[in-house]
Amino acid sequence: MANATFIPTFDVTAEASRAGRFPGRRTVPVVDNRRLSDGIYRLTFRDSYIAGHAKPAQFVDVYSADPTRLMPRPFGVSEVEGDDVSLIFAVVGKGTEEFSHLAAGDTVDVMGPLGKGFDMKAPANYVLVAGGLGVPPLLYAAQKLALRDDATATAAFGYRDERFADDLVAKYAERVESITNAQGNVVDLLNSIEDSLIHGDLPPVILSCGPMPMMRAVASWALARGIPCQLSLEARMGCGYGTCYVCVVDTAAGRQKVCVAGPVFTPEQLGWDK
Amino acid sequence: MNKQVNVYEPHEWKHSTIVAGVEWKNPVGTASGTFQYDACHWFYDVSQMGAVTTKGVSPVPWEGNPGPRTTESPSGTVNSVGLQNPGVDHYLVDELPKLKKEGATVITNVAGHCDDDYAEVVAKLADCPADMLEINVSCPNVTHGGMSVGTDPVALNRLITRLRHITSKPLIVKLTPNVTDIVSIAKAAVDGGADALSMINTLVGMRIDIRTGEPILANRTGGVSGPAVLPVGLSFVWRVRQALPDIPIIGIGGIDSGEKALEYLYAGANAVEVGAAALYEPTAPMRVARELDDLLDSRPQLAAKLAAGQTWR
Repeated sequence: MANATFIPTFDVTAEASRAGRFPGRRTVPVVDNRRLSDGIYRLTFRDSYIAGHAKPAQFVDVYSADPTRLMPRPFGVSEVEGDDVSLIFAVVGKGTEEFSHLAAGDTVDVMGPLGKGFDMKAPANYVLVAGGLGVPPLLYAAQKLALRDDATATAAFGYRDERFADDLVAKYAERVESITNAQGNVVDLLNSIEDSLIHGDLPPVILSCGPMPMMRAVASWALARGIPCQLSLEARMGCGYGTCYVCVVDTAAGRQKVCVAGPVFTPEQLGWDK
Repeated sequence: MNKQVNVYEPHEWKHSTIVAGVEWKNPVGTASGTFQYDACHWFYDVSQMGAVTTKGVSPVPWEGNPGPRTTESPSGTVNSVGLQNPGVDHYLVDELPKLKKEGATVITNVAGHCDDDYAEVVAKLADCPADMLEINVSCPNVTHGGMSVGTDPVALNRLITRLRHITSKPLIVKLTPNVTDIVSIAKAAVDGGADALSMINTLVGMRIDIRTGEPILANRTGGVSGPAVLPVGLSFVWRVRQALPDIPIIGIGGIDSGEKALEYLYAGANAVEVGAAALYEPTAPMRVARELDDLLDSRPQLAAKLAAGQTWR
């Protein structure tokens, strides 16, 4: 069910590519939608462009089919299999409630991939630090790293309660550590594995995604130890492609748009090293 | 729903319009605040719009309002960006050259906190290649300038009279709907020397988070736009057209289809602009332009008037 105001009947991706343009909003088939935990879902849709181009920490705008709910909801890509793209989201309002009811055979409007991804070129042991709904970009990073000979992945996931992504990331990561709110936070988790990270065969690089207070804590933990760190920020977004200027964050270079300047920033870019 | 247009195909425009002496290749532009070259040029050829209106430029860089800056409303969106922009000097060396290199018809939106700000920006733009200037006296999200000028006929007349002496470029004054008598404001702008009027800017609005009991936007209020404001914009264009038969009008507010653009043209607009729709469908301005171009085929009288710089009413 596509939004009543916009029902493309041509192949947006093929036509845009022919014209040398970025494919805009388009209607794609839903392949699967499953509940991972209380209020947390994994939506899978088929889109060859996003599947072929998405990098970890890039996101997809998903649009409601209800013409009274216009603005896109941005979700990080969590896994790609062939042409199938998965996203993980929590039900936090009426838009995400609607998405939780999507099922195989339905369609949904999407656009992406958007934003800049993590820089994962360096050989390293990538430490994937996620908090809450920060899991998707790090799960996808683990999937990409599993294909590499010169890099490893250590997942360090913090959950509110249910460990909904441990089995998903275990398919890809060399090591999976997790913690729930009742036990502590991701900094406690990092402290517990610090020695093995520092003395490992490959130098550690932290990739992290989660709420802003957690981003600050992870950044200061990494800065104190001289460990390179990249943070994928969560933000309340508008358009998702850089034209509306609502998702800004204060950085060392002034107020910047999270959707196009980010969502990935280093602590240095954010001025958090001062 | 009319026949689906493929926005990525090259197109020969059939129906043009003229706004204050400037020919637009079609009657559809982009509305200020929703268009930026760096973001939009990936999606469509910006030179193929009737005109593109850039974000408000101020004399110095403005960092805008704190976040959250956006929330949703039924068939609309409430935004409070506060005219964040890198300033007129940056605009002149970065965005404007890119737009002119692509061959776009450019309307530069001018923002200020006071009359001196507007005058400084207009003076700096006097010899630039922008085709038209749009004076933003209607932003609801800045505490000085913006809407405070656009709601006071005396202050508005004084400002436009001053700007008229600084530039020979076509001056568009963008009006706010947050007034009781739009006609007196419109007349004040025209008497001051405005060549055209654009309307409407956003309506002041807010949403409240019922978990906290507090406004969602950090600025508490914002500007409402989107399909929800369509009937408001139409009524403003209608009223101003009744009072001022000759002034060129650009109709803005809730346009997301060729049909809705056509409503504005029948209300008496010379042209229209697409705003919020671009935020949830990046190619919406081009789609609306293409849809309207086809709809005007079967309305030769209206098309002929627009092409001659006249309007339906």
